[in-house]
This record gives sequence, structure tokens and C-alpha cells, in this order.
Amino acid sequence: MFDGFLAPRYIGWMIDGLGVTLGLSALASVIALVLGFVLCVLRLSPSRPVAGLAAAWLSAFRNTPLLVQLFFWYFGVSALLPDSLMAWLNAPHRIGVEAFGAPWPPFEMLAGLLGLSLYSAAFMAEEFRAGIYSVAPGQTAAGRALGMTSTQIWISIILPQAVRIARAPLAGQVMNVVKNSSLTMAIGLAELSYAARQVETETFQAFQAFGLATLFYIGAVALIGGFSQLAWGRSSPPTGAAR
Amino acid sequence: MRLALTAITLMMTLAVAACGRNDAPQDRLAAIRQAGVLRVATFDSNPPFGSVNPTTRKIEGLDVDYAQALADKLGVKLEITPTNPANRIPLLASGKVDLVLANFTITEERAKQVDFSIPYFASGQQFIAKTGTLTSPDQLNGLRIGVDKGTVNEINLREKYPQAVLVAYDDTPFAFTALRNGNVQAISQDGPKLIGVLANAPDASGYEIPAFSISQDLIGVGIPKGQAALKTFVDTTLVELEASGQAQRIYDRWFGPDTRTPLARSYRIGESAAVAAH
Repeated sequence: MFDGFLAPRYIGWMIDGLGVTLGLSALASVIALVLGFVLCVLRLSPSRPVAGLAAAWLSAFRNTPLLVQLFFWYFGVSALLPDSLMAWLNAPHRIGVEAFGAPWPPFEMLAGLLGLSLYSAAFMAEEFRAGIYSVAPGQTAAGRALGMTSTQIWISIILPQAVRIARAPLAGQVMNVVKNSSLTMAIGLAELSYAARQVETETFQAFQAFGLATLFYIGAVALIGGFSQLAWGRSSPPTGAAR
Repeated sequence: MRLALTAITLMMTLAVAACGRNDAPQDRLAAIRQAGVLRVATFDSNPPFGSVNPTTRKIEGLDVDYAQALADKLGVKLEITPTNPANRIPLLASGKVDLVLANFTITEERAKQVDFSIPYFASGQQFIAKTGTLTSPDQLNGLRIGVDKGTVNEINLREKYPQAVLVAYDDTPFAFTALRNGNVQAISQDGPKLIGVLANAPDASGYEIPAFSISQDLIGVGIPKGQAALKTFVDTTLVELEASGQAQRIYDRWFGPDTRTPLARSYRIGESAAVAAH
């Protein structure tokens, strides 16, 4: 069964796939972090309708399978859009000024990015919320006793500590984004898993194709782990008690 | 001298014995005539080649009609055994059936294990597109085309039309949904399969299967290895069926314009593959 390693041409396909996986994951992680923070703030809003809506949104995205969400954005929503818009979305054109613009991404990429970002944002929102909850209530009380306004308390006391606590789980969520991006192969996005499957179909070298894909995923996730280690060092996050 | 004679006698005896062993599976054609029954394996769930008719509970289809025509020519009864893709070669090799007519694509690999008649049907890789948008294979290089993951169709398109953008989906219905949504401009599969997909679509009238194919799979009758008389009989009968017009009638019954699965006939028995493949 093991008949040598993959031909260079197929390794090239896999590297192209890895590029798509990394690009998609990076974009989706940034969008999900920003959106997740916003959702967390809405979820903690003193206004009950706003907090309720945010809670409903979060549970909808957290409690349904990502695969179904991707099918919804790719097959479901595109069926509702007018034909002319779909034709425009699928046509090859460029974004931005000529020569500096990037090629327009295929609709598979847009739907995959949207689906992955919204799904991951819901999880990241909850990581932020967990971080905020783990700042001891005494911290807020101490701020008040010093005569700080509640905005000052949030910006100077709660958020810096919450982010420090949440950043490790958030890095874990970014790793999940990389792994979850493999599901976009179901909507035809040519990322790493899709490329591995394609190589396997052409070469019948299943072990080599999926083995290399596994190594690439491990490498990508290790990179995120290494980066977070470098950025934050080995210091353990505060436990909520004042230091 | 005596030794030489003995050796020659021994060799002749061995040769005769060897011949006898070659004939051991006997002449199958003679055996069929003697038994008065032609045993044929067909598909039972692959319309319109072979599937169970829900009202008569009998297997019917294009392959069954050809099998019946062969039995009629022999003047024997037809006995159908249902089969599936994986079972076709074992059924033939074990002698449980005399012939296999089950959308059996002729390949070099299979020809090592069974003999094939001349082709009686060809299915090619075709396309579904919005009516009027795809008329010639030259356009394929500029299109986004949906294919099924892991199929020969995908590989074939990539080799022949490298500029076409291929998007692979899990199966043909998914690919067709993507076409209806406008995510791809055409989808590609074997012609008969595409007809089946189109037949079930609520808005089928807006789509068509352009009358060209970019590959051709030839379908033949599977015959046990080494049965020369049986193969000659099948081949000549198929040629006669084409000459008498019966082959066309069988085709029209399953793929004609009035059927649920209309498909222009692209291959005639006796034609060479290269001519029919454009």
C-alpha cells in the first residue's frame, strides 16, 4: 500500500490548500475576535431585551452543527439572493484599485468565511464573558470605593484582567478555527482537507495524502501555540485576586 | 528409438489431457441451448438500465430488453438474477450466470477477468447548464463547473480543461443545487445520471443537457472467460439487432423523447469509439 511519497505536483496542491486554510483561519479569527467581543458586551448589557437577544443569538450559533451552518450560508442563503447578485458574486473581478487590488474570492470562500466567523464568534464571546466573570467582584467594589466611574472601572480594572484570563482559552478557540475550517470542504472550498481528498482521488495514496494534511494541521496549530507562548510568556494568568 | 516413441506418446497423451482440461467448463452456448434457459445478471435498482417495476414486481430496463432479445434469438427462456456493481464479476466467474448485462463498462482491468462483447451502449461525461448557455466543449475552459468528489469526471475535466474552475461537492444533487443557486455555471457527471437528476428537478425546463460528451465509457455484455462460441453469438446478435432497428427501438423505449429520461443516442452498435466521442 505504501508506494513512495507524493509526487511534487501533489505536494504543491496540498501547499496551496494549506495557504487557503491559513488565510481563511486568520481572517475568520480576527473577525470572530472582534465580533465575539461585541457580542459579549451586548450579552452583559444592563438592558434585558438586548442581553436576551444576544443570548439567543449565541445559543443559536453555539448549539447547531457548523456543517449545517455552512450549508445554510452556501446553499440556503444563495437560493434567496437575486440571480444578478449571485452572478456578480461569482464573476471574476478585483477588489480595490487596479494593480493593488486582490482577486475577488469565490463565493465558497465568502460563505465559508461568514459561516466560520459567526460560529467562532459565538464561542469567543463566551470566553470573553467567562474572563470578565472571573474578575472578583471585590475589584469593582474597590474601584467604587476609590470614586471611579463605572466606565473607568471597566476600562482600567475589569477588562485588563479579563483579557489576561481569557487569552489562553481564546488562543484555543483560534486553534479550533483552524481545525473547523476543514468543514468548508463540504461547500467546495479548496482548503487543505479538500486538497488532501483530491490528491487521494488521483493518486490512491490515501496514507500519504491524509498524513501530510495531518502534519500541516499539527504545524499550523503548533504555530498558534508557539506564538501565544512568545507573546505572553509562561506567566500564569491572574486568578482574580489582586496582585 | 523406443524411448523416443514412448516420449512422443506421453507428450500426445498430455496434450490431449490438457485440451480436455481447457474444455472442462464445456461449451456454454451448447449448455444454454440444452437447458433451454439463458441466465443473465442485471441491475435491479439502476433505472433505466435495470430496476424493479413497482407494479409488475419484475426487473425491467434497457439491459433486460437486450437480454430478452438474446434469449429470443436462442429460442430459450430468460432467467434474470439481480446484481450490483461489486457482484458482477464473481457471478460470471463462478458460473452462476451465463451473461452479465448490467451497465458493465469495458475496462482493461476487468477484461483480464471476463470477456466482453462488442459495446451495445455508451455513456459519456456530460453537463447540465441553464438552457442555451452551454453549446460547445470550447466554452468549458471559462466556466465554474460543479463535479462530484472522488469521481473520474473531476480528474478528466481537470486534465482536458485546465482553465475551468472546478468545485467538488459530495454528490450530484448537491452539485445541482449549487447550479440552481448560481454558484456554478454547469455540473458534470455521466449522461444517464444527469438525466435522473434533471427528471426529479421541479424547474427542469430551465436546464438542459447539451448534446456533447467529453469522454465515452463503452458498455458491453460480460461473458465468461474463454467462451468463444458464446461471445461470437452475442456479438453477431448485437450487430443484427442494430441492423434490424430493434436496438434503436430498445433505446427509444428507455431514452427516447417520450420517456422520463430523454437522451440523444450518441452511439450505435458496431461504431468505433473514437468516431462517437467527437
